[in-house]
Amino acid sequence: MAQQNSGDETASPPPSRRLDEDWLAVVVGLALVALALLGVIPTGLVP
Amino acid sequence: MTASTGTTRRSPLLWALLGVVAVLALSAVVRWLSKAVPAWTKGTGLEGVGAAIEYPVYAILLGLLGNAVLGATGLRDRLSGGFRTEFFIKTGLVLLGASINLSVIAQAAGPALVQSVLLISIVFGFAWWLGGRAGLDDKLRALLASAVAICGVSAAIAAAGAVQAKKEQLAYSASLVIVFALPSIFLVPWLAELIGLPAAVAGAWIGGNIDTTAAVTAAGALAGEQQLQIATIVKVTQNALLGVVAVALTAYFALRVDRAAATTEPVARQLWRRFPKFVLGFLATSVIATVYLAAVPAAEGKAAIGVVNDLRTWFLILAFVSIGLEFRVSTLRQAGWRPVGVFAAATVVNLLAALGLAALLFWNFSA
Repeated sequence: MAQQNSGDETASPPPSRRLDEDWLAVVVGLALVALALLGVIPTGLVP
Repeated sequence: MTASTGTTRRSPLLWALLGVVAVLALSAVVRWLSKAVPAWTKGTGLEGVGAAIEYPVYAILLGLLGNAVLGATGLRDRLSGGFRTEFFIKTGLVLLGASINLSVIAQAAGPALVQSVLLISIVFGFAWWLGGRAGLDDKLRALLASAVAICGVSAAIAAAGAVQAKKEQLAYSASLVIVFALPSIFLVPWLAELIGLPAAVAGAWIGGNIDTTAAVTAAGALAGEQQLQIATIVKVTQNALLGVVAVALTAYFALRVDRAAATTEPVARQLWRRFPKFVLGFLATSVIATVYLAAVPAAEGKAAIGVVNDLRTWFLILAFVSIGLEFRVSTLRQAGWRPVGVFAAATVVNLLAALGLAALLFWNFSA
């Protein structure tokens, strides 16, 4: 969540960070799905 | 702040890593509790309660508890770089895609799109109008209307960029989203069960009504697997429309409110820049898993998807714990109660309109 700030500073910077997190989520998610479907992460390993 | 001088010298990255460790530790306790409590209460008078309380409840409560402890010790703000709710929830949703057959997405996409367009139009229009009647600043009402009508904090961030809102307006809107989302996580699934809604209608209501994506997932997880799947499809559709609203807001503010804010960036580029990319990952994992399950023996496929589901649960727990850790009411007090009234009224309209549209569009849904 954004931090409280004083003054007239605008809140425009987040898009680049949001973009990074979006792509990172895609990469991490796809990698984990690939590892699970290929059997690299065996059943029972994830607690 | 009560942190010592020595601790303030640590780099932001180190603090963020420590924040991730705190989220992981609390999540491990959540995972343990969600398995241990049903075992402890089995055969006792509390068996029903123990089985009914699922991991989103433990995650949010432990997150709020951690929030109180870290806030009291002055560590919360320093560790907050590790409370990556958006990343955790988006990764969880990409993983969730693997458990939804592509045919379900294909069948639900039409009604989900109709519901999202109508709901965003109704709720955004109402919140914008009421905010004007209440005398709110145009930028603040754009943020509040986007947050309540589309997808909570993400929408508020996108709208803030579009209308060049002040940071405190974004912080305020984000706080309001969380304050209203937390009770909705428990209230909407309970009401859906009380009314006796079919699973698809309940899911569409949860996905259409609750603002922030993480809260939708928590409520869907509490309601049931099919409700979670439909709620996610509806919410992902709303997320996909975020770019359209952000571009419209940019154009409106540039032409009507703040001419200095005009942008020369082509519309197509703006739409792509604001498009939530995790939606592509969600669709990709659904396609991959659908093809995979058709190609391997049923038992093997079920075991592999089970592993993905366990990983998905972990990421959702991380997200729900982070929601609790991020929650703060201090920003609300400083902005007065008129915006709260506007947001509350828009939430009620959202609740009713989403129920009506979900019943209309998903009553006969089967997949």
